[in-house]
Amino acid sequence: MSINVGVGLSTAKDPIHAAQEALQRARTRFLREKIDLVFVFSTINLSTLVILETIQTFIPEVPIIGCSGAAIIHDKNSYNNGLIIMLLGFSKEVYFNTACVSNIKNKTPIHAGEELGEKLLYGFKDIRRDLGLIFCDGLIDNTQDLVNGMQERLGKSFPLVGACASDNLKYIRTNIFHNAETLSDSACAMLWGGKINFGLGIKHGWKPLGKQHLVTKSRGNIIYEIDSRPATYLYEEYLGCDVKKLQNELRFISVLYPIGIYVPGEEEYLLRNIHSIENDGTLILQGSIPENSQVRLMIGTKESCLQATDQAIDAVNKELAGKSANFILVFNSISRHILLRRDAEKELEIIKKQFGDEIPVVGLYTYGELAPLTAIGYHGKAYLHNQTVTLLAIGG
Amino acid sequence: MLSYEYLISILGVIFLITIISLIAFVISKMEKIKQLSSVIESLSKSLDEMDEQAKLIVRTDIELSKTQEELDKKIAGLYTLQKLSRAISTTLEGSQIFKMVEANYLENLGFEKAYGFLWDNQKNEFSLQMSIGYSEEEISTTKAAITTDKNFFLNLIRNEKTTSSMSLTDTTLKTKIENILRSPAFVVTPILPKEGEKGFFAVATENTDTPITDGDEELITILANEIGQALENARLFEKTWHTQQQLEQKVEERTRELTNVLNAVKTINKRKSDFVSNVSHELRTPLTSIKGYAAILLTGKLGTLPPEAKERLEKINRHSDELGHIVNDLLDISRIESGKMIMNLGKHNLKEIISKADDLLSGQLKEKKINFNINIDPDASVLVDPEQIGRVFINLIGNAMKFTPAGGKISISARKLNDGMVQVDISDTGCGIPLGDQEAIFEEFFRVENAINQEVKGTGLGLALVKRIIKAHQGKIWVKSTLGSGSTFSFTIQQG
Repeated sequence: MSINVGVGLSTAKDPIHAAQEALQRARTRFLREKIDLVFVFSTINLSTLVILETIQTFIPEVPIIGCSGAAIIHDKNSYNNGLIIMLLGFSKEVYFNTACVSNIKNKTPIHAGEELGEKLLYGFKDIRRDLGLIFCDGLIDNTQDLVNGMQERLGKSFPLVGACASDNLKYIRTNIFHNAETLSDSACAMLWGGKINFGLGIKHGWKPLGKQHLVTKSRGNIIYEIDSRPATYLYEEYLGCDVKKLQNELRFISVLYPIGIYVPGEEEYLLRNIHSIENDGTLILQGSIPENSQVRLMIGTKESCLQATDQAIDAVNKELAGKSANFILVFNSISRHILLRRDAEKELEIIKKQFGDEIPVVGLYTYGELAPLTAIGYHGKAYLHNQTVTLLAIGG
Repeated sequence: MLSYEYLISILGVIFLITIISLIAFVISKMEKIKQLSSVIESLSKSLDEMDEQAKLIVRTDIELSKTQEELDKKIAGLYTLQKLSRAISTTLEGSQIFKMVEANYLENLGFEKAYGFLWDNQKNEFSLQMSIGYSEEEISTTKAAITTDKNFFLNLIRNEKTTSSMSLTDTTLKTKIENILRSPAFVVTPILPKEGEKGFFAVATENTDTPITDGDEELITILANEIGQALENARLFEKTWHTQQQLEQKVEERTRELTNVLNAVKTINKRKSDFVSNVSHELRTPLTSIKGYAAILLTGKLGTLPPEAKERLEKINRHSDELGHIVNDLLDISRIESGKMIMNLGKHNLKEIISKADDLLSGQLKEKKINFNINIDPDASVLVDPEQIGRVFINLIGNAMKFTPAGGKISISARKLNDGMVQVDISDTGCGIPLGDQEAIFEEFFRVENAINQEVKGTGLGLALVKRIIKAHQGKIWVKSTLGSGSTFSFTIQQG
């Protein structure tokens, strides 16, 4: 086995206690002596510097990457208060490099993405790179640009998978973990190469409803006009209420009825959550949307949501093509958690059941998921998704 | 020229045909376009209709989702409430009840902050019972604010009404409560135990995504009612417990007093026994001397005595013997009581013991022509000190003989009991003992007042001694008697 994994969970409320407990549990499951990399996923209340410092006290000089989540996922359960530490040990045939970029807003997302891509490539020159993993601040305006920037350097068809960090739905601050730093307005990533195999599955389960509409004026993640009318008109029409009411019911609308962008050749529409609704009828989304995009109002149910989970699992297995996985990363949209409510753990049970007791399933609830589009025309280019369950099985 | 015209006319015909064909084609195309337009129009209409249906679906769906969320919230709330109620209702200590409301329960009810206050009659202000999610500094500010605005909370208690950020219409008041609880969404509900101090329970959340609903108000009201009920139970329990404590204390005091008295009595009794023992001992020495001198005098070695003197000396001798018996019995009683006399226990044949006593008494039995009947299994074995039990039989048979008229009957029987004891019954056909005296006869110096006792001498120590010997054998003794028809003395001793 070229990858060894040890996962530890703690739900203690004190960060130091949580870090010590999770680390100890992870170490008891970790069979090798040498730890090469540490993944850390934590709920926002625990995502403090002391966690990383505690880890580094026990395992000095080992790269750490990860981020905060509204809830973390460990096997078939999710935790509103918790910390996951995953220790990874690789054989000599596995190569990786981690890097981080800060001040994304100042640098602009596209330049920050390029910088991150360059940093990742440094020390990875003569090695074939297979997969990129990225964790970025969930409150950045244009994550798509960040991804685009990275792909400028790493290759436009290079498979890039990741998660947008989240907080406790307050949208105040999300944290990125890189080595001994907890950062915001930042992104960290790793490049993976050598003897590894992976399988990716990404699905949401939302279905289009009503007529097709055209985004007639937009910039980045802001839609000003749809069908040459104020963007909120779409929702006003379908929901039969004014802007004021839409603003009050944003929580429901954003989760239940996102905007779907039609992507030719793609099985599912690319979804965009509504982040906020302005008084002038402007819609601010969680991801960018190009002008002249054909969009539909989308609708999701618990059943369609869980059906999508099954489909994502199928996709993973198809890509793995019989090869074994050592662990599964789950980047699950917080919207799914809100929609599924009491059934949220049912989704995790489905995933855990499919991959079996032996393979650890870890992850978090996100403000956005990053993964390639499968449509041929997009040549595997990575996009920001909303509302999906993104499963990444990694084995070596 | 002709051919030119001919050519023109042919071209004209062709042109005409072409024109006609074109017209026909255009007409047919136009027909087709018309048909297609009609299809497009129909499709567009369908699409519009479907879009309208979509609108209906979305509007219904959002209502359903909201209802479902409210339902989910209620179910989760009820589930939490049930768990919390169980914890609260099993708490009987007033101070612990509020502590049962833990942060995780509160979170499941959709709140992250809470205060519990009870009215303090002595201080004339609300006193804090619990707080969740507030810092020390925030708590002290809140305490002051609640004291200032106590009327709002007192009114809440008086009106027995729950209020919340949803139902409070007075915006000034709403802002005030928001500031006190430091949250835009809250529920405040009175705690109303039937007895004791009333108070209020306030929960709050900063999360405005899920607005406060009627359901929230209901759940928090139920929770406050549970707290009220538990406080009431705790108070009742405390009251009962307090009364019980007082009662227990009284019992303890009384027991202590009685123990002291008992100890005093025991000391006195011991002193009495010691006294009797000492006196008896001291009496024996001069008595032996008296008896000795009387015996010497009676032998005539010191000179022949006149018959009157001899008669008197014999009386002295006899009375000395009787006095000697009394002294010995007294000495034995006090010895047994003080534990100085050790029972020399061993396995012995019961019938043999009785026979020895019978030997001593047979002369008198014959004299009185009493029918003496021993109905004992010849192999019956008992664990006794044979000498002492022999005294028991001599005393009991002697008594029976004394009170049974000539020609009467005395019978002895014995039977094994289940508890490892043997019960011996000695029955006579004597005069019987009055019911009121049946217990007293076992006390020292007690004598039943009857004609026989007036005639027959006795010390009143025999049965007292018998009782102590039996007791020293871990046995019991009692009497059943009917006046005029006889008595049965029964005692138990261990099987051998």
